[in-house]
Amino acid sequence: MGFDIDVGSCTECKRCMIACSLAKSGSVRMQSARIEIVPNWPEVPEIRVCRFEDCEGHPCVDVCPVTAITESEGMVLIDAEACIGCSACVRVCPYHAIRMDDGKAWKCDLCGGDPACVKECVTEALKHREVGA
Amino acid sequence: MTSSMFDRMLRIDLGAQRAELWDVPERVRAYIGGMGTGVRILYDEVDPTIDPLASANKIVLTVGPLTGTAAPMHAQSCIVTKSPLSGTILNSYAGGFLGPEIKFCGLDGIIFEGAAEAWSILLIDDDQVRFESATPILGATTEAAEAYVKETYGADYRTLSIGPAGENAVAMAGAFSETRAFGRGGAGAVFGSKRIKAIGVRGTHAVTPADPARFSELVAQNMDALRAARAEEFGLVGIFSQFGTGGGMPLVNGRGALPTMNHTYGSFEGAETIDGPYYESNFYTRRIACFGCPIHCGRVHKFNSMEGNELWGRGPEYETMFSFGSNLLNNDPQLLAEANRLTEHYGVDSLTTGVTIAWALEMAEAGKLDAPGLELKFGSPEAVLGLLELICKREGIGDLLANGPRHAALELGNDSLPSAMQVKNSGFAAWMPRRMKGTGLAYATSNRGACHKRAPIGAEIAGAMDMESYEGKAAVLIENQNVVNAIFTLISCRFHEFVTDHEQYPEFIAAATGQRVSWEELRTLGERIWNLEKLFNLKAGLTRADDMLPGKCFEPVLGKTSQSSVMEAEKFEAMLDEYYSLRGWDSEGVPTAEKLEALGIADDAR
Repeated sequence: MGFDIDVGSCTECKRCMIACSLAKSGSVRMQSARIEIVPNWPEVPEIRVCRFEDCEGHPCVDVCPVTAITESEGMVLIDAEACIGCSACVRVCPYHAIRMDDGKAWKCDLCGGDPACVKECVTEALKHREVGA
Repeated sequence: MTSSMFDRMLRIDLGAQRAELWDVPERVRAYIGGMGTGVRILYDEVDPTIDPLASANKIVLTVGPLTGTAAPMHAQSCIVTKSPLSGTILNSYAGGFLGPEIKFCGLDGIIFEGAAEAWSILLIDDDQVRFESATPILGATTEAAEAYVKETYGADYRTLSIGPAGENAVAMAGAFSETRAFGRGGAGAVFGSKRIKAIGVRGTHAVTPADPARFSELVAQNMDALRAARAEEFGLVGIFSQFGTGGGMPLVNGRGALPTMNHTYGSFEGAETIDGPYYESNFYTRRIACFGCPIHCGRVHKFNSMEGNELWGRGPEYETMFSFGSNLLNNDPQLLAEANRLTEHYGVDSLTTGVTIAWALEMAEAGKLDAPGLELKFGSPEAVLGLLELICKREGIGDLLANGPRHAALELGNDSLPSAMQVKNSGFAAWMPRRMKGTGLAYATSNRGACHKRAPIGAEIAGAMDMESYEGKAAVLIENQNVVNAIFTLISCRFHEFVTDHEQYPEFIAAATGQRVSWEELRTLGERIWNLEKLFNLKAGLTRADDMLPGKCFEPVLGKTSQSSVMEAEKFEAMLDEYYSLRGWDSEGVPTAEKLEALGIADDAR
């Protein structure tokens, strides 16, 4: 599972971040979003989110000193309880998809297979890629 | 109970370099937010007779109950201050990301008081304020100031900056926030008078509505309506989504309501090379949106400057396609894009600046004005770009023009005032009053001068009302003004109201903050705000004579579609009388005691 991203269609509206933040924290707070639109003005922005299927070797899994990051069913998950906040995974992620907030590392968990962000993206810059698609 | 409003604002004493949190009192909270709280605060705290550029003026920068929530099309923040352009109370708006970031600071607004002793950059992190020297960026463009703040202090700051025009007290200087601008009314000059060159805002708070479940339902319904409107190929919002605000230009031109050559003609043959669809098909285009907006009417284009350099430009927006396009007889999309970029570069409102240039060109062609070394002719790139630069630098005749069209004409004399297409020194927008009589009345009666945001444009241009008729326009306009003021307390984008049932606004407020207010009460609040602004302006010395259109409006328009359209003076005066009467004002435009009593603001008249 993962995302198909067409960054040229991104309008930088951040509805994906709003939806993610709401889904994960119940409030709108940009630091709580697990997807990030990073402007690269005036060029197209960078969309930072886990690209599991495109990511070679999943370095975050190996770098975690406490095995808080595991692979399962086509995605990588962080166990917040186990995370010690060392941010090694943040540094190693080639897609800059892991963010630190409140002393813990956070990343997209694809909302268990039905990502909230994708539904909000009216220009379809962000699409959900099904397993093996 | 949670609320999407924090009921506190940050007051920054610029002279003392001190900030304190201010608990917003019930008296102000009753005005919801945005324009409402801004007007209430300015009215309570600023003497209407002051010089707008004196340190006694304040800048009230507000957000509303839906700012920073998932509600779409609520990205704007509002500046209320006394305008150096019009001498009236001003409300001016910018979209983008500044408004939500203010909310994420845990604030409903920021009040800037006094003036800094030295040019400063303000960094606001939640409720903490830091002053830094602006010396390294004095004279910098708005983009350079923005880049400096992000590079020096952190890329995650959302910024507001002024350019050379704001530093030079150009009356129509704007305050620029990344992709958007507080254009109307000269807020940039007020920041300049306070020696604030740039502001960075960065917040960490969460925004949580009072009733999250109900709020999410409302957002989902609203998003469905917006998705449908977005997909309508020939609907207004659909056109803005496809082509930006310039998508409507062919319609306005076809209706003979596109002001051309300083309002001499009502249509422009060259319009098809400067409108939204033209830019979309002929230039590299990127669509950009404000925070949380699915319509993305913003555009970024690549174009070539007059010197042949490839440049990026944000916009131009429709109003600029008029002010630096048709109204200057300019059909060159590269020249228009460059002029538009320079307005951002120097930090001026493209609307009133273009209107002032149009007046200068007409005066020059009539032999009443000249500029050494510049051939002042309509359509001339040198004239357009040259005057723009002179204005922003206040050099040569630019020093005269930088005071705005009315003040420039009063100073020039020689019967030049009738051709200054302004009301209260604020330039006309891109809609021709002689063709659209209700819009003419809107320009005349607007509290901030020549405003098109509260005008029966939709009804007139789309044909729901006969645009040339005077009948019934006063009543429709009053409804527009009250309704728009009501939604500007939230602060809804002007286009949001095109697709949103009015009854949804009170529901949104209730779910966001728990405040119970009916649509009827909200609309009355809009009327109350309108009257409060009027009281401010009366105290500032404005009279019925300031609610008057310039002389050229009472002469026939030339051009094919618009041939011989004219505003008849007697009918205009009758329309104005009717407007005052329906407003509950006397024949001089002074609100009656009964009206103020009914609105609960009788004490404010004293």
